[in-house]
Parts: sequence; structure tokens; C-alpha cells
Amino acid sequence: MNSIIELKNVTFEYKNGDEDRVVRALDRVDLAIEEGSFTGIIGVNGSGKSTLAKNMNGLMLPTEGEVFVKGMNTRDPETIWQIRQSVGMVFQNPDNQMVSAIVEDDVAFGPENLGVDPEEIRRRVDQSLTDVGMYDYRKKAPHMLSGGQKQRIAIAGVVAMLPDVIVFDEPTAMLDPKGRREVLEIIRKLNEESGKTVVLITHFMDEVARADRVIVMDDGKVALDGKPREIFLEVEKLKELGLDVPFATELADRLRKEGVDIPEDVIFMEELASEIEKRVKNQCQSESNI
Amino acid sequence: MSIRVEHLTHIYNKGLTYETKALDDVSFEIEEGAFAGIIGHTGSGKSTLIQHFNGILKPESGRIWVGGTEITEKGIKMTEIRKRVGLVFQYPEYQLFEETVAKDIAFGPMKMGLSEEEIDKRVRDAMELVMLDYDVYAERSPFELSGGQKRRVAIAGVLAMKPSVLILDEPTAGLDPKAHHEILDMLEKLHELDGCTVILVSHNMEDMAEIADTIIVMDHGKVVLQGTPREVYGQRELLTDIGLEAPAAMQFTKILEEKGISLQESVMTMDETAEAILRLLRK
Repeated sequence: MNSIIELKNVTFEYKNGDEDRVVRALDRVDLAIEEGSFTGIIGVNGSGKSTLAKNMNGLMLPTEGEVFVKGMNTRDPETIWQIRQSVGMVFQNPDNQMVSAIVEDDVAFGPENLGVDPEEIRRRVDQSLTDVGMYDYRKKAPHMLSGGQKQRIAIAGVVAMLPDVIVFDEPTAMLDPKGRREVLEIIRKLNEESGKTVVLITHFMDEVARADRVIVMDDGKVALDGKPREIFLEVEKLKELGLDVPFATELADRLRKEGVDIPEDVIFMEELASEIEKRVKNQCQSESNI
Repeated sequence: MSIRVEHLTHIYNKGLTYETKALDDVSFEIEEGAFAGIIGHTGSGKSTLIQHFNGILKPESGRIWVGGTEITEKGIKMTEIRKRVGLVFQYPEYQLFEETVAKDIAFGPMKMGLSEEEIDKRVRDAMELVMLDYDVYAERSPFELSGGQKRRVAIAGVLAMKPSVLILDEPTAGLDPKAHHEILDMLEKLHELDGCTVILVSHNMEDMAEIADTIIVMDHGKVVLQGTPREVYGQRELLTDIGLEAPAAMQFTKILEEKGISLQESVMTMDETAEAILRLLRK
């Protein structure tokens, strides 16, 4: 598979406030993101997740090491705009990402700045608003929309720049359950149907349960890296790192500790329910055999 | 202190084309010393409602009592009410502004005109309640702390005014799981130790199941349900209709039911689910 983003031995340091204390937010991180994949990044606040994201499109440049996007070094001023067009970012607070008083103007802002011609902008705005299910709202004022709707507009604004990769930095943190579901569904579609490479940073474990890969950050380092099933096996380790595991994983873990025989890699409610169903039915059979 | 609300209505942008009825004939009562939860999705009227409890918003019509005092009465001194009702807004850490943690927490009591000695005592007590070690944190800049710690400083600032009713609007929003649990544990302990009435606004159904003894469900500016978590979560269809998700434990129970497995009792938390399944498998 092709790596679309590569971080090579990346260290990122910054000075904290007036004390001149150097904080190492990323500590020699080696990482490659595969083209077309869905990668979840989890970790507690201050573990380096957001710094990692901002290094992926040159919003931050590494103190040491290199970052390559489609082979272009983020340090190279010649290609930085190409990199930023290629790797779009969506942040936590949709209100901070709105620039216009009308939804469609807001979505057009990115491509306008790229110097795209007006007809093409029209086409892209309509397409990206359709992609996020907000076409009917194109003439509305963003501030009249719900949090989930605003976040979808912010996503459309990024989609309109035709990026290869979209990095989402806690896009659901400020949303209610309904808004969260809407936004996650859009993210899933962008990956599965539009073929975008997705990097999703989140605190919610269930949001990455269906990712291709989960990276757990701790203290600026990659602590765990693997398929969701492999990662969520490490219930104790994740808890040590201040993280939760999905409901089904934790429940399975508790039942296992009480001697119930349940496979270790259960992460979805549906799977756990099927396992319990088997046990209950076996029990009924053995009872009727007696 | 108890809170009683009768026929409360609030209208935003009255007379304009944007006119919205944010609260529509809301009535309920929260008993003294209760841990109450208010749930509902964005725009259901939760935040509008709690801003009435300390007079930030004035209702279009209706009455509110805090303890024995009717705060919607004409001529009532809201400064007095605000000492009794402490409101912690969403993302309260954005409101931190002082050089040190201790000074920031002292700001409220200072404005109340308390003696230096009393202020110092209150700062220490408040820091203890939010589980921040005075010797370690008092002289630090609040801006150097982690997100969860900053939020606890902001809550301590409200606690230092010794409110009888503490209202928190989404106090765990945006926090990581560890900080999230810490804030909830803190609230539980605080409620136990201090005995104040706590009102928690949240859309996290799991948290409510664990912590609240009464829940008020809002939708489109109306109270659609009030009861114990068990009573409220029993109304699965109604909750789904208004866009709220049942806690994971209840979603799981539903999946089991679809497979013909009944847990015999209604469960709301991880602990209860684990126990119920074990009983089922061991009988």
C-alpha cells in the first residue's frame, strides 16, 4: 500500500508560557498513514494528538525530523500550499471555523482562495454540500444552525478544496448525541464512498471501533498501534493511560474475569450479545439433557 | 435549597421574525439536597432554563422559587440570589483570568466583601472540595494546568461563594475520559460532603444513570419527563423520538431482547448489566 503521509523521527517542542520550560509534545514519532485508510488517534489531553495532526499538513513544523505528504516535505515553502490543499483539517469548535454569513459562501471560501474559477467553485460547493447532506441549507446563516449542522458545513468547506486526506481533530467533542451521529456518518461516507484518507482524533472509543487502525498516543509517543480489536484487548493498559474502552469490550472483560468464557477480541455489542446467546442456549440444552 | 418552577415561559427575539419560544410553560420541582439531572439535545431549552435560576435571564411569564424566596418577584435583589445559586457555565476555564489559582478562586468571595481570613479559608475549602492540593496548586498560574484541572479551578471559584444550589452546564464537555471521570467523582463527593443541591445539565446518559437521583428531560422548550433515572430510561421510545440515546447498558439489553434473552430486571449501568448476565448464566 501507498503511504500518503509519512512522519520520520518527528520531535516537536515548544516553550510553555513565561517560564521558558521546554515541552516535548512529540517525541521521535515514526508513522505512515496509508492512502484511503481510516485511522483513529486516541490519547488523553496533552498526549500529543493535536500536535501530531498539525504536523501532518505543515500548520506546525517539526523541531526535529521530517514530515512528507505525497512525497513533499512540509519544510519546503515551494510545496506547502499544495500540502495544505491535499491535507484538510476540521477542528473541534465549528463556530471558530465559520467565515461567512451565508452557508454557501462559507463553503466557497477555501476554493476561492485556491484561485479556482467561479463555475468550478459553484460545482464544488453544490457537490460538497450534497456530500454532507446540507444542500437544502445553502442559503441559510450558519449561526442559525445546530452544532452538528455547523460542523457539517465546516466539513463541506474542507471537502470543496478536494483534499486527499482529511484530519478531524475532535470534531464531535462539542456536539450532542444526535450531532455526533450525523458527523460520524459523514466521516464514514467520506472514507468509504469518496475514498478520502481519514485521520480521526477523538476521546470517544466507540468512534474508532470501526477504523482500520487505531493509534494510542501517550506523552508524545505512540503507545499502541494496531487494529481496533488488537488495541481494545489491552483494557488494563488503556485504563492506565486514562482511556476508556467500548462498552462491549469492558463488559466482556468483566464477565471473563468472573469465569465466563468469552473470546478476547469482542468489541461490538452485537458480537457480545451473540456470545451470551450461545452460552444461554447451551445452558438450556444441558438442562434439558438432565 | 429546593427549586420550584411554575409555568415558566421564555421567548427570544420577541416580536422579531426569529422569535423563538425557548421555554414553553415549564413546571417542576427539585427537592433540597437532590442531585438532579437535566437532559435534552442542543436547543431543547436546558441552558435557557438554568440561566433563570440566578436571574441572568428574566422569564416572559411564570414564577421561580429558590428555597422560600420567589426570585421572579419584583424588586428582588439578584445579588443575594447569586450568592445562593452558583452557576458553572460550559467551558468555564475560558473565564479564568488571575495570575494564580488561589487569586482566581478568591475573586468571588472578595467581591462579596468577606474578610481576608474568611476568603483564605474559603479558597482552601473550595480547593479541597475539587481535590486540588492547596500547597501544590495555590500559587501556580491557572493557565499552566491541564484542561481537567483548569475546569476544577473554575468550579472551585463558584464553590468558594458557598452556594446552596450548584448548577453545572455540561461540566465534562471536551474532556478526556480520565478527566471526565475525575469531574464526576468530584461532584459525587461534593454532593455527599457539602449536601448542597446539585443540578447537572448534560447529554451524557451514562453519567446521569450513575449519578442523578432525579432526571428532567427537555424537548422543544418543554419538560417531557421527570422521574428517577430508572423511570425516565424506561421510556425508551420517547427518548429515541426526541433524539436522545439510551445508556449503552440499555441499548445492549435491547439487543439481547431481540435475541430472545431477557435480563429479568432493567439495568442502566455496566455493573448492573454484568451482575444480571452472571445471574442469568449461573441460575
